[in-house]
Amino acid sequence: MNVWNWVSLGGAAVTALVIVAAIRRRACAGASGRRFFRHPAAAPGLFVLAFFAAVALAAPFVAPYKPYEQIDIDHLQNQSPTTRNILGTDPYSRDVWSRLAYGARISLGIGALAMLVAVTIGAALGAAAGYFRRWVDSALMRLVDVGLALPRIFALLVVVALWDHIAVPVLVVVIGLTGWFATSRLVRAEVLSLREREFIAAARALGAGPGRVIARHVLPNAAAPIIVSAALGIGNVMLLEAGLSFLGMGVPSPAPSWGNMIADGWPKMAVAPWSATFPGLAISLVVMALNAVGDALRDALDPRKEAV
Amino acid sequence: MVVWVVRRVAASIAIVWAVVTLTFILIHAARGSPFLPESSQSVDPETIARIKNQFGLDRPLWVQYGLYLRNLASGNLGQSFALRRPVADALADAIPHTFVLALAALLIDFAVGLALGVYQAVRERSVGDIVLGNVALFVNSMPTFWLGLALLLVLAQWLHWFPAGGPNDPVLCPRLDSFPCLLDFFWHLTLPALTLGLVGAAGTARFERAAMLEVIRQDYVRTARAKGLRERRVLLVHALRNALLPFITLVGLAFPFLLTGAVLVETVYAWPGMGQLAVKAILQRDYYVVTGAAIVTSSMVVLGNLIADLLYAVADPRIRVRGA
Repeated sequence: MNVWNWVSLGGAAVTALVIVAAIRRRACAGASGRRFFRHPAAAPGLFVLAFFAAVALAAPFVAPYKPYEQIDIDHLQNQSPTTRNILGTDPYSRDVWSRLAYGARISLGIGALAMLVAVTIGAALGAAAGYFRRWVDSALMRLVDVGLALPRIFALLVVVALWDHIAVPVLVVVIGLTGWFATSRLVRAEVLSLREREFIAAARALGAGPGRVIARHVLPNAAAPIIVSAALGIGNVMLLEAGLSFLGMGVPSPAPSWGNMIADGWPKMAVAPWSATFPGLAISLVVMALNAVGDALRDALDPRKEAV
Repeated sequence: MVVWVVRRVAASIAIVWAVVTLTFILIHAARGSPFLPESSQSVDPETIARIKNQFGLDRPLWVQYGLYLRNLASGNLGQSFALRRPVADALADAIPHTFVLALAALLIDFAVGLALGVYQAVRERSVGDIVLGNVALFVNSMPTFWLGLALLLVLAQWLHWFPAGGPNDPVLCPRLDSFPCLLDFFWHLTLPALTLGLVGAAGTARFERAAMLEVIRQDYVRTARAKGLRERRVLLVHALRNALLPFITLVGLAFPFLLTGAVLVETVYAWPGMGQLAVKAILQRDYYVVTGAAIVTSSMVVLGNLIADLLYAVADPRIRVRGA
């Protein structure tokens, strides 16, 4: 780590603070925004997320080495943390901190994008099932029953086996495709009650087709549970990605993801615990932040459930 | 009630069948074959073709599927290629290991989770509540296998309190045939069960705290206090009884969690259960072990949901199942 890395890292932290402060200022103008920040873990959670996002974006500046760079394969394996390698080096003589910073791009990116895929599919199919009912509903919900009956990691392992080396975008889609079941059930329940309301009948009476009614009138009113389940789901996806990579079926090495960093460091756990410990800590911190923000969002968006 | 149960059981069987079909198609479509991974360099294609013919793997997929279903109907789960033994035997060896692990984890999960949740609810907003709440949130956010690695490193590698893996000592206790060996088995069980149980307990505590807080504010709890009952009895008998109701959902949800978590934890601790068997089988394209594992796993999930629904109906007289 040279001076510029430290300065950039400080910059990332300050940026994160500024972003959280800005969000807070704007949010506190509204009642639900105030409710969100009344949750004690909301602001720290947002800060952790903003900080890791900033580190991911600024990876080339905060990381002293390239993520694949083997600094000195003869003398610098499993080096314990020093001022030069603040989180030590891994068994392949790569800087753990640099990989962690670049790995944030992959791990956070997979979490967010796979959840986006899952939520989009879940919301669309859940809305269709709830709105059209009859055979659409029963067909889709039986599909959901089947999808929920197999543990997700098992299903993912079987699907990932379709490829020799899975590319990251494919992995994102695959994780998304196995993650929409619970969301669609949630959305369906919401839509079932919404569709009987007068404003939906009014929209239909004005001649709006089903697509327009669902997209413009039904889904915006079902947004709250969708957003909450998405926030909580990202953490789940990150844990899944870590598990898959740990089994060697996720992000292919040498690309750094926090999951396969744990997998790389694991065999040398006894002599160099840092190379598996820090990525695990990073995952735990981010998932914890996501859970906290998800809880706060639930309190904020659902006034019926006042915070206890 | 009987009609409802029959309908639910029929639906459950249909779900398991669909899962099996899906798994069957996917694993057969996977890259590679059961005989390629280790033998690709040395064996000529003709021999592989002959072996495939011997196992019927060269037939069209739908023929294989039909044969598989017919065998299934007569209780035959097929033959494992990699283990060179019937799938049913391999599963029968693995299931008890996973079951014991899940049971032990569930015990830790509910005991620790309930105690913490009730304590936190009673001492709401105290320092203890806030600290425990954050610790629970953190533990609940950890990758299970990473917690397993950490415990393994500290408690087994550094402190030597627990063995590093496996279900028993291979030299002293190859079989569970004496009391010391039974103790040895539980000694080996502690770390994997603790790993799974603690992550679950963290979630249970969060859940139970919220449920307890909701109940504690109700009028009947105040009435119980007004009657002069001791606080202990009010909390543990009157309040907890109703705060346990949403808990039943957790039992149903815990099944898939334990099975999923077990896949990774079993790998970390070399625990020869379903999870490890399934992962190895998928990697080796051991088709019938994979589909067999899918049958067992999905049956357990479906059964868990069914039991949770039934428990609900029994525990809460307000819930009367439809069609009763």
